[in-house]
Amino acid sequence: MMLRLAAALWLALLAPAGAQPGDAQRQAAAARALEQRAEEEAVLAEGEGRSETFGYCTACHNTALIRRSGFSRPQWDGLMDWMAERHGMNPLEGEFRQIIVDYLARHYGPRAPRRGGNPFLD
Amino acid sequence: MAKAPERSIQELYRDDPERADAAAFGRRGALTGAALAAMGGALGAAIPFAGSMPAGTLPALLARPAAAQGAPQRLDLPGKAPLILQGDRPLNAETPEHLLDDAVTPADKFFVRNNGLVPEAVGDPRAWRLRIDGEVQAPLDLALGELESRFPLVTRQLQMECGGNGRSHFQPQARGNPWGNGAIGNAEWTGVRLRDVLAAAGPKPAASHTGHFGADPHLSGATDRAAISRGMRLAKAMDEDTLIALRMNGAAIPLLHGAPVRLLVPGWPGSLSQKWLTRITLLDRPHNGQGMGGTSYRMPVRPIVPGSENNGRDFADMESMPVRAILSSHAHGTRLPAGTRSLDLRGAAWAGDLTVQAVHASVDFGASWAAMQVAAPANRHAWQRWQGRVALPADGYYEVWYRATDSEGRMQPHQAANWNPQGYGANPISRVALLIGA
Repeated sequence: MMLRLAAALWLALLAPAGAQPGDAQRQAAAARALEQRAEEEAVLAEGEGRSETFGYCTACHNTALIRRSGFSRPQWDGLMDWMAERHGMNPLEGEFRQIIVDYLARHYGPRAPRRGGNPFLD
Repeated sequence: MAKAPERSIQELYRDDPERADAAAFGRRGALTGAALAAMGGALGAAIPFAGSMPAGTLPALLARPAAAQGAPQRLDLPGKAPLILQGDRPLNAETPEHLLDDAVTPADKFFVRNNGLVPEAVGDPRAWRLRIDGEVQAPLDLALGELESRFPLVTRQLQMECGGNGRSHFQPQARGNPWGNGAIGNAEWTGVRLRDVLAAAGPKPAASHTGHFGADPHLSGATDRAAISRGMRLAKAMDEDTLIALRMNGAAIPLLHGAPVRLLVPGWPGSLSQKWLTRITLLDRPHNGQGMGGTSYRMPVRPIVPGSENNGRDFADMESMPVRAILSSHAHGTRLPAGTRSLDLRGAAWAGDLTVQAVHASVDFGASWAAMQVAAPANRHAWQRWQGRVALPADGYYEVWYRATDSEGRMQPHQAANWNPQGYGANPISRVALLIGA
């Protein structure tokens, strides 16, 4: 009896106005589509090491994380260890690591604060 | 410098803002009459309060966090407003400040923060189970229906903010999503108090911290690793406003926001508010899950050199979030008709576990400040709405600066303070550019 009452209450709670049964599935499918959206290598700056960088990094995350970043070589280098230690990335070693870190430092180095975001000029 | 400064400045600003700044302000950043005139030309408008513009800092005033500039990519997803897309994988999206104009944030305008992948929707939420274990007398394994029938339901407006909100204000750049000020929401959450559930399990005397676990897969797909698993001091877990939430704004929690059940830990970094909650464990020491320790959600106790390397060993966990105000009545870049002589401003402000005692606004680059009216929070840990009017003496280019002060008298600083590698706690005074006439 108690259980049935609890179940009835629970059903009432889960069926509020506005919530449609398929909403969650639709959001899940849309999120999946975004997460799996294919990227082209050319979205990264052209240069030596781009293929290696694109291939290795996008195994886990999309290139937005790279493109929005502006770090020094030591910072990029440290990130490789951080991803290995904290996120289980296969440790990057030797020449392969050097190629990727060099590429990132060369093309995604520190930037001055972005200026000129003037809404009345653009 | 060029022979026709106005023209060249205008062109430079279109083509190379960096050089334009240098040309207009000189190597030492001194603001000269000619540079000022050039700037006015570049803006296409007079600057009524040019006299109080801080010399050398003007160029930055034209800038906004990258995420708020130009035409950022927008989120296109069922049930969500066109938020600023920070990234697809992980899926992260920021609410522009002017979309945070509702007293209670609707689900569609609530920011999206993921560390891992969005899990599949569950077929039957009633079958979802939540475990309470660790340093407790009697571990619990509850179906969601039991959770609701055994413990009192409460409904509260609670502000919840990403620990990295404001990160884009840091210079040099810090790691992580470059949020402006829009990784914040103040929804109405219904659920049971975590402290009631923990009391039923009976914390052992040694219990001092929590550890939280959710169902979202790690970004790499690895099954032996959590996407995020953080914890807090037991005192926060026992706070009356820390909820195991079952509904958002009177409806089932949307999938993106943690359906069917999540933690809601208001005022502290949002990563504690575990989505798709499956388990809470009590520990006799700080939790060591994903997102704990090192530089994650931790800030220097002794300030470090901006941009320097640091392993975070001497940092302290970020707890109550710092004071911050947003302006929701006017978007950055708003144009208003010639002759507009006053602005009715409004927005929201909050201060972690504290309250906001004042919000001030300035339209003259901080030379003078007007006190706004700040409403009381709907309940403890709800944000506070503010509003007020400011006068404009003439047409032209203005910036609205807005600054909150917390209940202990701390104001938002002029610059992001206490730089740290992952960019937490940046809450400088915010600025929005407006053009009257022209």
